[in-house]
Amino acid sequence: MSNDSQKAGDKFDQARRGFLEKLGKAAAGAGAASALPAPAWGGASFLEAFGDMFNKQYKKMTRKEIDAALSRIRRRALRQYGVEIDCDDTPPQENVVFGYAINISTCQGYRDCVHACVKENNLGRDSQVEYIRVLEMDQGTRNLEEADHYYDPDTVPVEGKYYLPVQCMQCDDPPCVKACPVEATWMEPDGIVVIDYDWCIGCRYCMAACPYWARHFNWSQPKLPPEEINTKTHYLGNRPRPRGVVEKCHFCIQRTREGGQPACMEACPTGARVFGNLLDPDSEIRYILENKTVFRLKEDLGTEPKLWYYTD
Amino acid sequence: MIRTVAGLTALTFAALAVPPVTAADEETGFTPFTGYAAASEFSVVPRQGELVFFPCSQCHEFMEPDATIRELMSPHEVEFKHGQGRFWCYACHKLDNREQLVAVNGEPVSFDDSHLVCGGCHGLRHKDWAFGAHGKRQTSWTEDRVIYNCTHCHDAHDPVIKPREPMAGPGVRTGLERVAPERHEKPKVWQRRDSQEQKHEQ
Repeated sequence: MSNDSQKAGDKFDQARRGFLEKLGKAAAGAGAASALPAPAWGGASFLEAFGDMFNKQYKKMTRKEIDAALSRIRRRALRQYGVEIDCDDTPPQENVVFGYAINISTCQGYRDCVHACVKENNLGRDSQVEYIRVLEMDQGTRNLEEADHYYDPDTVPVEGKYYLPVQCMQCDDPPCVKACPVEATWMEPDGIVVIDYDWCIGCRYCMAACPYWARHFNWSQPKLPPEEINTKTHYLGNRPRPRGVVEKCHFCIQRTREGGQPACMEACPTGARVFGNLLDPDSEIRYILENKTVFRLKEDLGTEPKLWYYTD
Repeated sequence: MIRTVAGLTALTFAALAVPPVTAADEETGFTPFTGYAAASEFSVVPRQGELVFFPCSQCHEFMEPDATIRELMSPHEVEFKHGQGRFWCYACHKLDNREQLVAVNGEPVSFDDSHLVCGGCHGLRHKDWAFGAHGKRQTSWTEDRVIYNCTHCHDAHDPVIKPREPMAGPGVRTGLERVAPERHEKPKVWQRRDSQEQKHEQ
């Protein structure tokens, strides 16, 4: 884009924003005149309430626009839940590509990871969306059609069964990204496939494209008890989501980009989950990939998952 | 008998240790285990502070060391599931200094380094643990590795992890019913073989 047309575009943006702000103030003024406590949308201005609809795609936003969007997210959370959240967009680290390995000899099927994930990532408590599904299968088989993720015995592990946690594999050649018609989902330089919730149109093509059933759709506004909201959020990660968008596991982007462990790994009492940098030859995950018996789920589809399973 | 065991394990330890093996300590005559050649550096979460009765000298200072196998009394009522009754306390605890453990080669080991005692027999597991394929990291995935000791998860006297109640499973979407996964019961390979042979006989 030439400089001139860029400037013209900026001017248009400014004009549009100015118009929306004026509109909002006018409406608020009208509200005050008729002695209504606040505008119907609950915001201070029209832009405040509907600004997210006019966001650009995350990758095309300027720093200023991102900051505005982040502060809007914070104010919205305060209005909606009465909770002051901290939302940032920590960039990926240099020379880091994340990989995950799960030891299925050690996994006992406790589902601690599932519940830690729900809490960490502000998943709707009513929507039955869970990023991780733990499959129970007969030992000696790996027939996913016969796998059961509703298992509910008194104690696990059950004799003769083994457990295989399935979540987003963060494929290196992700079919969901190819399926998205609006580029609302893409792979970041550190290998995490992320979603821009404001850009997602909710068509669910990505869900159909994903061979791992890893993507989930918010049929309704996720219901979150205010006291359980995780206030540490990321723009591409666990910020409170609106209704009608797709979401999925993002390797706890708000933690891992700052060196922390994903919540599922931290919660796993058995130590079956190993997370690390695939580019670091001394990392634990590289030792596992080079020395243990590893496999990937549905590897024949060629999606190059970055989540491996291994056995002792 | 004890000597041959110690000799064998000393061999295994020598084989596992870093090639330029650190010289033996002059006083004790033991070669300390310094880790695996290619393993990235790590530190182990200390364990000693978590022990209930530590320091053991609180009581044992006033007691004569007694190695005879006898019925254990409170506060040390333990059932040795580990080794299915083959071990007595002093396979791992040091007889003349209760504040220390003892490796299979007789080397005294602190409770903080108890993995050295476990690794004496479970060598391959110990190697996996040191490289990160077994065990649990305390925090972060970055270079500074702090990992939990064997005894943080495993009870040394009964190391098998007990079955436990699972957390709640996923809910079934409103309007849907939970369907049991389809199980295509097929005879196993050996069962099929048997029935084929029977057919031949007929």
